[in-house]
Amino acid sequence: MREFYLLAGVFILLTVAVGLTRVLLGPRGADRMMAAQLLGSGGIAAMLLTAAGLESAAALDVALTFALLAAVAAVAFTKSSGRAARTEED
Amino acid sequence: MNAVYGLFAGLSALLLVVAGFAVVTRRHFAAVVGFTAFGLLLSLAWVALAAPDVALTEAAVGGGVTGVLLLSASVQMRAKMEVLPSWGVRFIAAVLAAIVTAGLMLVVLMLPDEAPTLAPAAKESLAFTGMGNPATAVLMAYRALDTMLEKVVLLLALVAVWSLGRDHFWGGRPDFDFSTQTSGPLLLLARVLVPVGVLVGIYLFWVGADEPGGAFAGGALIAAMGLLAFFAGVARPPLVGSGWLRWAVVAGIAVFLIVGFGGFWGAGDFLAYPDGLAKPVIVVIEVAMTLSIALTLVLLVVGPPGRRP
Repeated sequence: MREFYLLAGVFILLTVAVGLTRVLLGPRGADRMMAAQLLGSGGIAAMLLTAAGLESAAALDVALTFALLAAVAAVAFTKSSGRAARTEED
Repeated sequence: MNAVYGLFAGLSALLLVVAGFAVVTRRHFAAVVGFTAFGLLLSLAWVALAAPDVALTEAAVGGGVTGVLLLSASVQMRAKMEVLPSWGVRFIAAVLAAIVTAGLMLVVLMLPDEAPTLAPAAKESLAFTGMGNPATAVLMAYRALDTMLEKVVLLLALVAVWSLGRDHFWGGRPDFDFSTQTSGPLLLLARVLVPVGVLVGIYLFWVGADEPGGAFAGGALIAAMGLLAFFAGVARPPLVGSGWLRWAVVAGIAVFLIVGFGGFWGAGDFLAYPDGLAKPVIVVIEVAMTLSIALTLVLLVVGPPGRRP
């Protein structure tokens, strides 16, 4: 069962990698921002699965911390990007 | 455990790609987004390496305050710096960075297979400290002096940031100009999330005695919640001239010093904890430290005073 959790974590990580292309390619700031948020959700899911796979309770706290801070990051990105998010970058 | 190796392989590849992107891209905003993604993946790697203490610190500091700090810097740079350094400067910078990287790689490769470790010694004396988490015992008991000096460095950084303010703004509020317009959803988010986040921050500090956590992780999470409150406009950055703020910022170091000198008559040495009272004393220090760390991190991010008092 633990093996299964870890494999599921690897699979989630692969989907995260696909989403990562939008962080790298953009083209707009908003694309990168949304992709980073997707990466946040996927990363937290992968972390929870790893926590189950390695039976590490502390990893749950790490995931909780990330879940809270992802919202703060989303607000900070939106507030700071104003122009960058709306307009096409060069 | 082949699945663990799969996880390591995937994580290593992603980490290299994202790190390379954050360094190479010229767009500030994209670099900051990449850096935030890097922090998340790095934290996941620490969890996979069974180092949850490091993972939690990376999550609390890298996911919150550092991201906001970099974003706020990138907004200010966007207006002021559009000129690229010359080819020569960039070449020299690249060479220096490559030398540092090569040196670090060499050091890692030269590590002995049986790494020298103090872990058994740290576990042996754990009972005397009353702590259940060896990482916290190292930070708060064995190497308490280092932790105290770390807080002094944090305070010095704040003094340095404040000294960048103009004379006629001194004593005023930092000009954290993200809260110009506010919106309903953001207000709701701040009202719901900030209390929850502060609670989790206090939990992280408290659980630090026995599990990964502690004053820095808890303080950093509370600091991020403070920044969210500023973003939503439900709170304003404090006047840097106010007396309570100064006391709160030095509280951690002050309590540390009082306990430190108290150790001379209580236990015979500087920062020595009296027998059997180690845990309560450490908790008192950590309460003051969590408060000071949270406030100092917030003040570092919002910057020097930029409005008249």
